[in-house]
Amino acid sequence: MKKEKKKVGYYVLLWVVAVLFFLPVLWIILSAFKTKMEILAWPPKFFFVPTLDNFRDLFSRRIFITALTNSIVISLSAMVIAIMVSFLAAYAFSRLKPKLTGFMMFMLLSIRMVPGAATVVPMFMMYTALGWKSTHFGIIMFYAMFSVPFSVWILKGFLDGVSTKFDETALVNGAGHLNTMFRVILPQVKAGLVAAFIFNIIFVWNEFLFGFILGGNKVQTLPVALATETFTSSGMDWPYLASMSVINLVPLLILLFFFQKYLLVGMTFGTVRNEI
Amino acid sequence: MAQVAVPEAGKNSPARKIGRVQQFFSDDKRFLLVILLPVVLFFLIWNALPTMWMVGMSFREYSLTSATKIAHFIGLDNFVYLITSADTWSALSKTFLFVVGGVFFETVLGIMLGFLFWDSSKMPGRRFALTLLFSPMVLAPIAAGNYFRLMVNPNFGVINYLISLFNGGKAVELLTNASLAFPTCLCVDIWMWTPFMLMMTLAALGSVPKAELEAANIDRLGWWQKFTHIILPHGKYILMLGILLRTIDCFKTMDLVWTMTTGGPGNSTELLGIGLYRVAFQSLNLGRASAYALITLLIAIAFTSIFLFVLNRKNSAEEA
Repeated sequence: MKKEKKKVGYYVLLWVVAVLFFLPVLWIILSAFKTKMEILAWPPKFFFVPTLDNFRDLFSRRIFITALTNSIVISLSAMVIAIMVSFLAAYAFSRLKPKLTGFMMFMLLSIRMVPGAATVVPMFMMYTALGWKSTHFGIIMFYAMFSVPFSVWILKGFLDGVSTKFDETALVNGAGHLNTMFRVILPQVKAGLVAAFIFNIIFVWNEFLFGFILGGNKVQTLPVALATETFTSSGMDWPYLASMSVINLVPLLILLFFFQKYLLVGMTFGTVRNEI
Repeated sequence: MAQVAVPEAGKNSPARKIGRVQQFFSDDKRFLLVILLPVVLFFLIWNALPTMWMVGMSFREYSLTSATKIAHFIGLDNFVYLITSADTWSALSKTFLFVVGGVFFETVLGIMLGFLFWDSSKMPGRRFALTLLFSPMVLAPIAAGNYFRLMVNPNFGVINYLISLFNGGKAVELLTNASLAFPTCLCVDIWMWTPFMLMMTLAALGSVPKAELEAANIDRLGWWQKFTHIILPHGKYILMLGILLRTIDCFKTMDLVWTMTTGGPGNSTELLGIGLYRVAFQSLNLGRASAYALITLLIAIAFTSIFLFVLNRKNSAEEA
């Protein structure tokens, strides 16, 4: 009986820790259901009558609808391109082991370790020169490129975990390279595809700097709209900011809930595949 | 070559086409080249090209505000300017402080909380609780930065309200005070990324074999001995990877701090990324910005090499 009680106390403590970390996020979510006066009230309002006005206002704004559509189209297309390219590359690195594998994997990883502010300058110059600035194509390909390095790392980790016996069996049964790759090996690394998707979508969905510099006013994503559209002549438009932040956050929270076990794999590029 | 397709395939039938495709890929080298082509193209167009552009520009005087806009060669002047400029060193030392402070607290807190969550596998609603716990990581830094600016505002911020309850009703200027702005930004970063180190700690703890822990319990080892003799040898590489990843990411921090303070007040929160952004897009001096970027690139490559070194050690330790 005493042990039971201790266990309950322990679980309550864990919940308290989790909720403490969630509190600032919760405050943003609550603000989205407040009026502007309530958001800026002193002392802060902990109890209030929730209103959906902010969301009504939000969905009536063309800028928001465009940004939301852009975000969805851009991040999903970038993910599809990145994962296809990465799977092919990871397969090559894992199975055919070309000479410069180690070096190429290093080059890929180092791309993503560079601070965004450093790569945005040359990228801006190149995009301006090639006329890719403010085009969907340019932004999609950029985000795809940004997702490739980690996806290759994640997928190579998974492919290395698939026994080469599968390849041999396929080969003995007369399957060509393509059949082996797509019909035999691909189904074995579905978890890797999901992990690559989860990790990169979190990054791409929230990315601001490149979207802002390369997309400009014409191709705005949600984070860019969050940063640039919420200023008004009379200061910040807090209800707009809060409701848009919530719309930006909810899809990721849902992904986080349903695909939690892939988060660790993704965040460590497949180098750590233990359970949490 | 294409004539010797699969025998049972008729003319122009889909099977015959597949046969051709297979034939094309039957050569190992050709297959390798084709599946590596997309990634190589990506690399060349979106990395090699801009990087070379950057290297070329870093030796030139090129400013979007100059009347001529012609980039003429000035040798190492950009680098000399940056290395002798106090701003660069101030940004470097602030970034260093930010990285050391952020990573230290995230690691210590993350490990402590990770140990707390060690035995949580049967916790009711665990998945939901972990979603809440990890939510700071998926909040857009732009949203977090903007909203923290409101929350610490001395006139209507909830955090400042809580501070005022313990401070005799007086709110504190956090972001407009040159000595407090930096620690405030650091705290927000710690809040966002401690869950990551917690997650890594859980993974590290998960890699410790149960049998060894049971043996340690039977031998009545103290917790410190258990930590140094059993948990660390198994979990240290995962923890080191976590710390390195945080170091690299912390080094890159920009949009969070930018939205909270835009580098101010004065230059008290001007990190490397923000300094670079200013040179490039406020002074519009792209030549100097390229040199700046090249310097940060070299630092980042150094970090990456260390990361890979640890990763290799981890892999060889697991194979042994």
